Amino acid sequence: MFEPLDKLLTNPIRLMVMSVLVKVSGCDFNYLKKITNSTQGNLSIQLKKLAENEYISITKSFENNYPKTKCNITKKGILAFENHFKNLKKYQNLDL
Amino acid sequence: MNHSEQLNLINDAINKTKEQLKPTSVNFIFWGILITLMSLIHYLFPEFIQKTTYSSLIFWTIIPVIGMVLTIVYNIKTGIRMGYETHIGRALKLVWSVFNVAWIVLIIMAFFKKQNPVQDILFLLGVILLISALLIRFKPLIIGGICVIACSVLITLSPHINTLLINAIAAFVGLFVPGLSLYLSKKHV
Repeated sequence: MFEPLDKLLTNPIRLMVMSVLVKVSGCDFNYLKKITNSTQGNLSIQLKKLAENEYISITKSFENNYPKTKCNITKKGILAFENHFKNLKKYQNLDL
Repeated sequence: MNHSEQLNLINDAINKTKEQLKPTSVNFIFWGILITLMSLIHYLFPEFIQKTTYSSLIFWTIIPVIGMVLTIVYNIKTGIRMGYETHIGRALKLVWSVFNVAWIVLIIMAFFKKQNPVQDILFLLGVILLISALLIRFKPLIIGGICVIACSVLITLSPHINTLLINAIAAFVGLFVPGLSLYLSKKHV
């Protein structure tokens, strides 16, 4: 059975963010900005979309008077990412 | 993006977020050198270290506590610089935090029981080293952990053996050598 792909994860920045977060137990905004090679504004929008769908949780704090944003993947996010990955594999086999 | 591109992107992101064990190896090297030197200083200058009833206790408590503070600050700074914490990194952090607390408890218990805590601490250290080694899948650390447990057993079986020398050997073989090989290992950098 071929399920439709999760539209939220077809965006490259959101997919990269989820790929990183699935490997780590916590990650800060600056690292995500560096790895996705995106602007602060764009990344913020994508993170907000993921958080609104409860795929990730965002924690804001202050460190040495500087704001710090930390992101974690949620259980729903892990499940969605796993499903998306499995579906991609199925579709890739179909492409071949 | 087509399906292959998405899979490549996932692969790239995961590969870029590597398990960085070089900072971890610095901890092993630091503690290996510190404990080996402390044991040798105590062994070579017992009249100085055991000058008063509590001087050796102070020597073996104050310096390691300073070492603990230094390593905690170093690990926090490294974590901030890296920007992420992997699941293995978190597990290692928790395991060694438990070791720190258990080490303090063992010292206090040994003080009240008027016993030498070296064999208990070495056994605990060996177990924690083995857990760490299995988590990061690093053979020299497995060997180091086994050697440290063997040193603890040796102290139990030979009560007249010099515990300071055994402690120095255990710290060198169990912490310094695996730490250095982890630092020089290209697989985990």
